[in-house]
Amino acid sequence: MKKIIVLSLLAALSGAEAQTTTLEFWHTFGDAKRSTWIQDRADEYNKANSGFKVVPTFKGDSNQTLQSTILAARQGKPAALVQVEGVSSQLALDSGVFQPVSAIKTVDFSDFIGPVVSYYTIEGKVNSIPFNSSSPVLYFNKDLMLKAGLDPKKPPTTFNGILKACAQFEAAKLGMKCVALTPFSWLFEQWMSEQGAQLVNNDNGRAGRATVSNINSAAGRKVLQFYKDLDDRGYLTNTGKLADTVGTNAIFSGQKALMTINSTAGLGNLLDAAKQSGFQLGVGVLPIPDGTKRNGVVIGGASVWVAKGIDKVQAEAALEFALFMTNTANMASWHKLTGYYPVRKSSVTLLRKQGWFSSNPLQIVAFNQLLNTKPNLANAGALSGATIETRNFIEQGIQKVLGGQSVASVAATAQEQANAAIAEYNKNFK
Amino acid sequence: MSLVNPRKKLSPSSSHRNAPDKVSARAHAVFRGNGLPWLLLAPSLIILAVFSFFPALQTLRLSLFRANLVVGNEQFVGLANFVDLLSSPKYRQVMVQTLIFVTLVVVLGLFLALGLAFLASKPIAGAKFYRLMLIYPYALSPAIAGTLWLFLFNPEVGAVNSVLGATFGIKPRWLDDPLLAFGLVVAATIWKGLGYNIVFYLAALQNVPAEVTEAAEIDGATPWQNFWRVVFPLISPMTFFLLFTNIVSALFDSFGLVDILTRGGPVYGQTGITTFLLYQLYEDGFRNFKTGAAASQAVAMLLLVGCIVFLQFRYGNRRVHYGA
Repeated sequence: MKKIIVLSLLAALSGAEAQTTTLEFWHTFGDAKRSTWIQDRADEYNKANSGFKVVPTFKGDSNQTLQSTILAARQGKPAALVQVEGVSSQLALDSGVFQPVSAIKTVDFSDFIGPVVSYYTIEGKVNSIPFNSSSPVLYFNKDLMLKAGLDPKKPPTTFNGILKACAQFEAAKLGMKCVALTPFSWLFEQWMSEQGAQLVNNDNGRAGRATVSNINSAAGRKVLQFYKDLDDRGYLTNTGKLADTVGTNAIFSGQKALMTINSTAGLGNLLDAAKQSGFQLGVGVLPIPDGTKRNGVVIGGASVWVAKGIDKVQAEAALEFALFMTNTANMASWHKLTGYYPVRKSSVTLLRKQGWFSSNPLQIVAFNQLLNTKPNLANAGALSGATIETRNFIEQGIQKVLGGQSVASVAATAQEQANAAIAEYNKNFK
Repeated sequence: MSLVNPRKKLSPSSSHRNAPDKVSARAHAVFRGNGLPWLLLAPSLIILAVFSFFPALQTLRLSLFRANLVVGNEQFVGLANFVDLLSSPKYRQVMVQTLIFVTLVVVLGLFLALGLAFLASKPIAGAKFYRLMLIYPYALSPAIAGTLWLFLFNPEVGAVNSVLGATFGIKPRWLDDPLLAFGLVVAATIWKGLGYNIVFYLAALQNVPAEVTEAAEIDGATPWQNFWRVVFPLISPMTFFLLFTNIVSALFDSFGLVDILTRGGPVYGQTGITTFLLYQLYEDGFRNFKTGAAASQAVAMLLLVGCIVFLQFRYGNRRVHYGA
């Protein structure tokens, strides 16, 4: 209720200055670093384009932002541009308050990195402009590796590799755990993709509405087993809170663990933290189950959607800003600032020319991981209206495995719960 | 944020004592006719209607529908939401957990607050400083309090386990051992509400006339008897008031702490052990966008609070001693 009033007040205020059309851009970055970057891009755009004024506003986490967007749109006061998290894509689509960007005008997407565009392409239409994209990598403490007699130049690349490295690390008796890893569904999804497995049926929800989850598959159970192996042998640590990567990052950068697995978007912060605690940070590819051919990572992060309820001129201007914000130079600077991928091939070329990768060799690992990903249905990512709920079931499942329950029973229960949630969501359309 | 606004704070004043007919007689003496009183009440009534009654009615209506906030659909399902709720083992577990949580928080919290308030009410050097220190947690926002506790109880790098590890060689898993996590949330909630309870108990204790306790002392009462037989009954109206506000705040205000400290986890049985009624409602309504299901939970909670209020005033009053 309060939100509605604030929104209508905002809308009333923005209506008052009618000469320039205001384009609201609602995003999910509350921190100074990233929100200032967005504001700077808006200022540049506003200076260059007189008729329009882009106003970026932080609207809370991705769920709160989506909620505000829906309510505002229902009141007939939609924000022109909204940043929507990848997992909420099906919800954004079903809400009916957005229009596919490819319907506004013809955009040349050939410069965008393949897997990124394929994630946001549904039924042949590109729905949104990719903005902040990331994938998970292995972070490790080079100094501790040397102390344990491990080669920091050859970090483990498979689950067994991790277990072996941990055995050697444990033998060195340095008084800390080997891996800081939180029950995190995003990683589960990545590992499904790397194994070429789809998370939900109907071509990962892209040929038709997903009806069944694939948590209880050989691929899914392998991931649960990995958590179990790490825990059974005493290699694993985390804060105990679900999806608490802030906690595992703190453990890792406090030198209480040799490795952690987390998003490339955390690279900037981890580099700072490593410098502060005085160790050399290493980055490796996401370790995957043994005997699997790497099928590539699912792109994580968010994209920018254009509202449906605005006139064509506004929609075009909004799209133009989104494209300006993600142009070659801007994506390169965004990447340097945050660790998110630049979503354009030309930005990668630009960064190469600037010598960015030779002075920052850690960044290249994440890049190659994504550039080597050949788009297919598994790594396009799952579409389902119950993804957020499903994540909770997966994370609770991992926690149950760590608490001693069997992988088979946990996988079966989690899949049952996810199927029920998907079925419940789909009933909304009957 | 919540679908109904349950925070109806009771006034601690003992208005029950005034005979109602006397009050209305006096009121009629001031206001001739019915127009003016209604006019003066109008601002409050309008605000209540817009922000409390209207949303509550909407919630009631919504609880009969299958609705998803994002999809924007409304399909009439009758009482199906309530049937689902009551037949769900998960929701039943949440109800039991909430009951245990509220009981622990209220009983332990009030005893602790009473004890501390009693100590702080003694005329000792630095009493004002102690009082301030006892009250300040109440001034922290739940988000900050939650973050503080999270940092303190991080099992690997938190201050608590650093001390425990160095002195006893143990590192308890505060956030994924179900029993410890539950205890931690109970402790944090009690700590957070302590200041509020202490302020009220301090005020009540300072209002107990010295003559009464002195008389008891002269009659040979031990300090223990003096407190439980004389002081405690005299401050029972305050206990009655705090009992109710504490139940309501344990039900509704524990949300922020839970969200930051445990996110409703760790999993135990059907669901997270610190997933309480309000947290479940939030999850369903604002994370999973199941507006209809969340509305039915809001209605269930409304009924629950209604029952508590009824029981309190029906049976609580008998034990309350409002003095001479």
